[in-house]
Amino acid sequence: MEDVLNDVVSSEDLKKFESVYHEQLRASHVTQKAQFEYAWCLVRSKYSADIRKGILLLEDLYNNYDTEKRDCLYYLAIGNARIKEYSKALSYVRSFLQIEPANVQVQQLETLIKKKMEKEGLVGMAVAGGVIIGIASILGLGIAMAKKN
Amino acid sequence: MNRVDLKIVLLGNAMVGKTSLMQRYVHDSFNGNRPYQNTIGTVFAAKQVQVNGVSLVMGIWDTAGSEKYDAMTRTYYRGAKAAIVCYDITKFSTFQRAKHWVRELRSIEENCKVYLCATKKDLCDEGFVSDDPDLQNTVEKYARGTQTKLFITSSKTGENVDKLFDEIVQDFVSNPENLQQVEEAIVLSRKPEKRYCCTVI
Repeated sequence: MEDVLNDVVSSEDLKKFESVYHEQLRASHVTQKAQFEYAWCLVRSKYSADIRKGILLLEDLYNNYDTEKRDCLYYLAIGNARIKEYSKALSYVRSFLQIEPANVQVQQLETLIKKKMEKEGLVGMAVAGGVIIGIASILGLGIAMAKKN
Repeated sequence: MNRVDLKIVLLGNAMVGKTSLMQRYVHDSFNGNRPYQNTIGTVFAAKQVQVNGVSLVMGIWDTAGSEKYDAMTRTYYRGAKAAIVCYDITKFSTFQRAKHWVRELRSIEENCKVYLCATKKDLCDEGFVSDDPDLQNTVEKYARGTQTKLFITSSKTGENVDKLFDEIVQDFVSNPENLQQVEEAIVLSRKPEKRYCCTVI
């Protein structure tokens, strides 16, 4: 199922919002709107370099403006979860829920992040398991060959 | 479940009740005690529906109504087969905005069918008067003139909510091109059967 952590921005949209942002940057006047829209595209990119850039832009907005703080927190959590910075992502979720404890959208995001962590934890263990089996079979083969000789 | 056969976007002013409409349809619930929470960006929900023996996956994109998200919301129109444009039955200004969305959708996404949806019918039933007493007439006239289907719903009572979504599904399957795409997607999403090969040396 498609979810907020897997929703990928189309390159067309990314380029569109990027050019608006860059134009304003050249004119040395970046509006809060353009920066937020560009960051919103970046954190949904396939590439972690883009996501990191988006996170920087969102942190800048969060620190310098009083409005839209909740929107920034939400996308900061998403961006960090996407680059597997789970503890950071969860800390943003927690600061959001401190302000709005009953927010369903953010509660769902928290569950989603935790599920992803769990899944990756298991995957990690499965990989470790595979390595152990691999080593064991090489050892077994070695022993068998040694016995033959 | 990665497949979405029927993409629906929910549009409308902030606070008209888009999230509640989706909540009612997908989870058949309504929480009247919850304080208003404006949606950030978009929220996605999927629902499987059976129609004429075919099982389709409906994907619903619930968008943020606040104007600061307008440019971002527009990126979700792409590929939508249906759009539900909501307005609050008690607020004339929300209908003004709804007309803007109808116009915009018609010009950008030609293949997207537009449905007008009045929300909060329960308030009318309780005797709450709209800020424009003539709103209902105006909307009906507009819907007729633009050939847009109109549904008057209440997410609180559930009235007409299923009817609206059922109509969307029916309109979708009445187009043989759509059905063919669904069938192709079903075939593609099936896992290939495993084949076992034995080689005797």
